[in-house]
Amino acid sequence: MELFNSESKKIINDPINVNNPISLQVLGICSALAVTIRLDQAIIMTLAVIFVLCSSNVILSLIRDYIPARVRIVIMLSVIASLVSVVDELLKAYLYDMSKQLSVFVGLIITNCIIMGRAEAFALKNGPSKAFLDGLGNGLGYGMIIIIVSFFRELFGAGTITLPDGGAGYVLWRIPEAWYAAGYENIGLLVLSPGAFFILGLVIWGQREWFGLEEDV
Amino acid sequence: MHSNNYTLGFVFIVTIILGTMLSFTKDSVKVLQDQNLKADVQKTILKSLDFDESLLLTNESIEQTFKNFIVDKCVDIDGNDAPCETSEVDIEKNVETLPIYFKVNNKEDYKVEGIAIPIAGKGLWSTIFGYIALNPDTDSILGIQFYKHGETPGLGGEVEKEWFTRNFTNHPIKDSNGKIIKDENGKIDGIPKKIRNNNGDIIGIDVLKGAVQYSSASKQVDFLDTNPLAIHQVDGISGATVTAKGVDSFLKEDLKKYEAYLNKVRDSGTI
Repeated sequence: MELFNSESKKIINDPINVNNPISLQVLGICSALAVTIRLDQAIIMTLAVIFVLCSSNVILSLIRDYIPARVRIVIMLSVIASLVSVVDELLKAYLYDMSKQLSVFVGLIITNCIIMGRAEAFALKNGPSKAFLDGLGNGLGYGMIIIIVSFFRELFGAGTITLPDGGAGYVLWRIPEAWYAAGYENIGLLVLSPGAFFILGLVIWGQREWFGLEEDV
Repeated sequence: MHSNNYTLGFVFIVTIILGTMLSFTKDSVKVLQDQNLKADVQKTILKSLDFDESLLLTNESIEQTFKNFIVDKCVDIDGNDAPCETSEVDIEKNVETLPIYFKVNNKEDYKVEGIAIPIAGKGLWSTIFGYIALNPDTDSILGIQFYKHGETPGLGGEVEKEWFTRNFTNHPIKDSNGKIIKDENGKIDGIPKKIRNNNGDIIGIDVLKGAVQYSSASKQVDFLDTNPLAIHQVDGISGATVTAKGVDSFLKEDLKKYEAYLNKVRDSGTI
């Protein structure tokens, strides 16, 4: 299969644009709400999810013809859980501060419905290269939404933009003191979980307007 | 449909492969993880002793600062020195040897600027580990930090957040105009809370359910006169009453263990 023919482009683009796992399928929003307080957390989480999603898709796709149907969920879970544990251990070794901030939410990637969903719906039915692209597309779709949400939450909630740097995060930009002196205030609500709901709601609204999606009633 | 033997065999092989992969990963990063953990404990001690954050950015600088400004030893429950390796003491179970850390100005004249002692105990789901640091008067709190716990993020997990730990070192006071003194960020900039009562006995800190009432009668903040207990109290965490109760009780327990030694330091002025 040619890597970037129209079909593989569609596999990657679809979950990013229209059929987005978070904003359209509304899967995996538990972690999406929890790790979007700061941009650097969202970026590391995105990388972790992309890694787990691509690898689990490829591995399960490679062994799809040999998995006994009766135990396929168990096999899927073991593969996913092992990969997540690997990511967790690597974060603890190389990005210790980040792993403390993300705390349980790295481990909870195991229960992220996007990953089980893609394994069951796509990887078990398609070849490894397509499964990889599907994982990449869905991972990017997930990442795009949580990065947008965390960008706004951090900017308006805490007044900073933080990028990951291996330590406690590199502050790219912060709202100047003069603004605060002139009466500007951070929106405290955005730092709390309801803030994530509001932003996510706006993103979903924006996406539906843009692509002209409508609910089937 | 596959046979039972095939299914069992398949699951067995997958388990072996995944297990090997996991143990291989863990094995190859174990050294790095242990270094991080050690640095994290040292960082917690240093942070509780109010060292500047800029000294604590990398594992190397943490280790260097620890080496230059920290003296450690163990004491027993009667206040006598006890031989031990401080980093190897099991803080949760240990009662015989109690590790204690001193912040000194330099390693020549050993002027003590702070005393840090480990605290650990049950919260709601997990054991919470941390350090509390006292000023040389062994009464007022220099800082408190938690580094390991398994409490719910956003609820009990808030113990490690700055807003909670700040409570212990910021008892509001008023300036000459009667206004509460605040820093440039609008946060209360007061005096430390105290762990000893008027008789000099260690009573610890009460972590309340709800906020500290500085004034009993009206909303006018006139706390120093109306609520003498407030200096021993900090705000609790809403949604985490059990965690807060846990912190309250193990803080008292652990401070009590060190009372004999702390009294000695207070009376003699030496460590």
